[in-house]
Amino acid sequence: MIQTILDALSFGGLYGLAALGIGLVFGVMRLVNFAHGELIAIGAYLLVITVPSLGLLAGIAIAVVGTALLALLMELGVFKRLRSAGPAVLLVASFGVSVFLQRLYEVIFGALPISAQVAPWMNGVIDIGGTTVTRGSIVTIILAMVLLVGMWFFIDRTTLGLQIRAASSDFQTARLLGVRSNRVIGAAFVFSGILAAAVAFVVVTQRGSVDPLFGVNITILALVGTVIGGLGSLQGAALGGFLVGSTISLLNAFLGNYRVYTYTWLFILVIIVLIVRPGGIVASRGTKERV
Amino acid sequence: MSIPNTSASSALRSSAVPGVTRFRWPELAGPVVVVVALTYLVSSLGASSSFLVQGTLVTLVMVLALQVFIGNSGVLSFGQAAFAMVGGFASGLATAPVTIKENVLSDLWGPLKTLSMGLWPSLLLAVVVGMIVAFISGLFLMRLNGLSAGIATFALLMVADNVFFNWRKIGPGPQVLPQVPKFQFVDEALALAVIALVVVYFMGISRRGRLLRATREDGLAARALGTSVWRLRVLFFTVSGGVAALSGAMYSHHAGAVSARDFYLGFTFTTLAMLVIGGVASVWGAVVGTLVVAAIGEVLLRFEQGVEIGNVLIYLPNGARGVAIAAALVVMLIWRQRGLTGGREFSFPRFGRWANRL
Amino acid sequence: MTLLKATDLKAGYGKVDVLFNGHITVEPGELVGIVGPNGAGKSTFLGAMAGSVRATSGAIELDGQSIVGRKPEDIVRLGLSLVPEGRAIFSDLSVDENLRLGLTGRRLKDGASAALKDVTDLFPVLTTHRDHQAGMLSGGQQQQLAIARALVSEPKVLLLDEPSLGLAPSVIQDVFGVLGRIQESGTAIVVVEQRAHLVMSIAARTLVMREGHVRATLTPDVAWDEEKLAEAYFGTGEDES
Repeated sequence: MIQTILDALSFGGLYGLAALGIGLVFGVMRLVNFAHGELIAIGAYLLVITVPSLGLLAGIAIAVVGTALLALLMELGVFKRLRSAGPAVLLVASFGVSVFLQRLYEVIFGALPISAQVAPWMNGVIDIGGTTVTRGSIVTIILAMVLLVGMWFFIDRTTLGLQIRAASSDFQTARLLGVRSNRVIGAAFVFSGILAAAVAFVVVTQRGSVDPLFGVNITILALVGTVIGGLGSLQGAALGGFLVGSTISLLNAFLGNYRVYTYTWLFILVIIVLIVRPGGIVASRGTKERV
Repeated sequence: MSIPNTSASSALRSSAVPGVTRFRWPELAGPVVVVVALTYLVSSLGASSSFLVQGTLVTLVMVLALQVFIGNSGVLSFGQAAFAMVGGFASGLATAPVTIKENVLSDLWGPLKTLSMGLWPSLLLAVVVGMIVAFISGLFLMRLNGLSAGIATFALLMVADNVFFNWRKIGPGPQVLPQVPKFQFVDEALALAVIALVVVYFMGISRRGRLLRATREDGLAARALGTSVWRLRVLFFTVSGGVAALSGAMYSHHAGAVSARDFYLGFTFTTLAMLVIGGVASVWGAVVGTLVVAAIGEVLLRFEQGVEIGNVLIYLPNGARGVAIAAALVVMLIWRQRGLTGGREFSFPRFGRWANRL
Repeated sequence: MTLLKATDLKAGYGKVDVLFNGHITVEPGELVGIVGPNGAGKSTFLGAMAGSVRATSGAIELDGQSIVGRKPEDIVRLGLSLVPEGRAIFSDLSVDENLRLGLTGRRLKDGASAALKDVTDLFPVLTTHRDHQAGMLSGGQQQQLAIARALVSEPKVLLLDEPSLGLAPSVIQDVFGVLGRIQESGTAIVVVEQRAHLVMSIAARTLVMREGHVRATLTPDVAWDEEKLAEAYFGTGEDES
């Protein structure tokens, strides 16, 4: 029972991180980055490749830097050139980048999964007050909390964070005040990359392997979270992701056979939210909804 | 303050001036002639070429399905693959031998097990079922614009995939439905593709198509027109669903088998890429995009398998083809959002305007 | 030297030009008005100068430096600040945060706290609501916040787009009353207004725009001459060259 709760919390935290990564970029750019999954994937690939030879810490450092770099590259190479494009074009473009990277990974790393034990201790158990729980769930919860609090602090208390909030609310006016659009967008991408690396760490330690499609499912679900929580609201995204993650975890634990239809219910919910309350469940007042 | 709401360029708008919507026979004849000519030309090269052509025709119909909706309404939709799924299963189940269904797909709903009809009637069935499903989902989804529509239709695709992959009562579930009767001659697929071309073209130049395209240019006008826009979109979404279902049905008779994952993200991506690369706003764009991407795909495939140039054996790593197509899509969006055709229909540049005025 | 000068400015959105020959000169400390009916291109004119609207051709010079075609975030650092139509404050952020955002565009890095103090002296209501969400303020207070936010960067030229929009007459006085004090510190102001009378009596010059062209330049003495005003607004078909 405790394990079930912990699982729900850790899944929730994990998807909260993933959704926040998507939400950050969406906030400043109105871009739903399908390619976020490929950021997660490169993080996992880097971990799997470097940790066995260079050790965990070096591996994590490389993964974080690599993922952030790829995120920045996406922005500079593709999305920056689409600044004036409407959200639908951006959506197709991000879909394109996503597939491009998936196929590129296939060419570079091969289509088959690559296995490695990144942090086997994550899968061990520890004793808390008489009950045994997996280390992984505890670590995930702690990691998620640290990162979410850290992000919150950054967004809420720093100047750059203020600029990001302003840009998410009204990009044009922010520029009129002197907020450098490229800097703010670049920062959003870099941070989304860091969050992606964290997600990659958790998932790859659980799964023990990585393949080109590593990030696809997580991204799709994180996207659900972002939409449900409210496009354009950072807290909404994190919360939405948390809800999606924990719900899936609980449904898997309790539903048995019917859980195969989890996706169906989730996506029907997405459609309902989009129709009835386009601002999301955690509606943000200041969001300029682009038609 | 009245500032015209013509926000910056989008791939979903065309440079065509509203009013360029009379029937101009070259605009229809051009694509048809090109498709027919290429079909017979390439098929004559052999059986495998013929198979390739047939597959391309199937894909072309799907791209046309996307074009008739996205091109005219300016609204992005990821959902057509769901209707293709519906069509593929409908037609496949209706034509697969009853004994196969009874033995391999034991969980299938009774009437579906015993259902049996000829290939051509099953195509009609597929189209009808596709249109019904599209109509119903359109009623809900067509209120949405831009980004929301994109995400909602994506959600639709996810639901369809989840349902069809798991619900063995209405389909083969995770299994493949085998022994679907195949097309015997490439002419069959060709005829269907031409029919789709004609339908989609006339939808585009119809009065309703004109109205819908006007809303594509101006989001504010769209909102001002209110319900009529919704109705138009539902109409075009429904037709799009029917054509997509036809494509799915054709696929089942092309491959001789059908499964849920045939119409999922990869399929959605490829067909969308073809449309964007060719040009979203025109039928000619759909045709050009399909042909160009298919051709490049084939060439790259040969290179993946190894090609001899002079004395050297050149080959691309496996999967390079997929990378190239994805890269082409992104590059096209950045460089030339209107696609290769610029969103324009076929015309005879050399003969000047006279042919177009006939 | 003329502080702000625009000549033959053309600007628009996408493929459509809305402004066809914007021209204006502004000296330091001056208040210049721009009036005209809806759709005349007044907002586009301001936007083109501030960089938020793309200029297709023409010239804009700020203190002798060409700023046409530059990004808005660069232009504000050169000393031109725009308060957009409808105030455009960040409603989810606090009053204080809105003001601090205005600091982003400062040319000089020191003097930030002094600038903040000056601005709250001008608009005391902002101190009272310092930590409140900007969206909770009344229309008039939001307008004051928007102006204060633009002033915090200590611009040489302040552009105001329809500051009276949606405000009650008494509140309008609060806003317009401050303009004189802003001018005293050397800041030039360009005010776009649909309600011509608000601006014409306080402006050194008022431009009348119609259909994307500057049709006339009026001085205060003309302001109350109905006939001349109507002629400028609705035109006899003659343009100012």
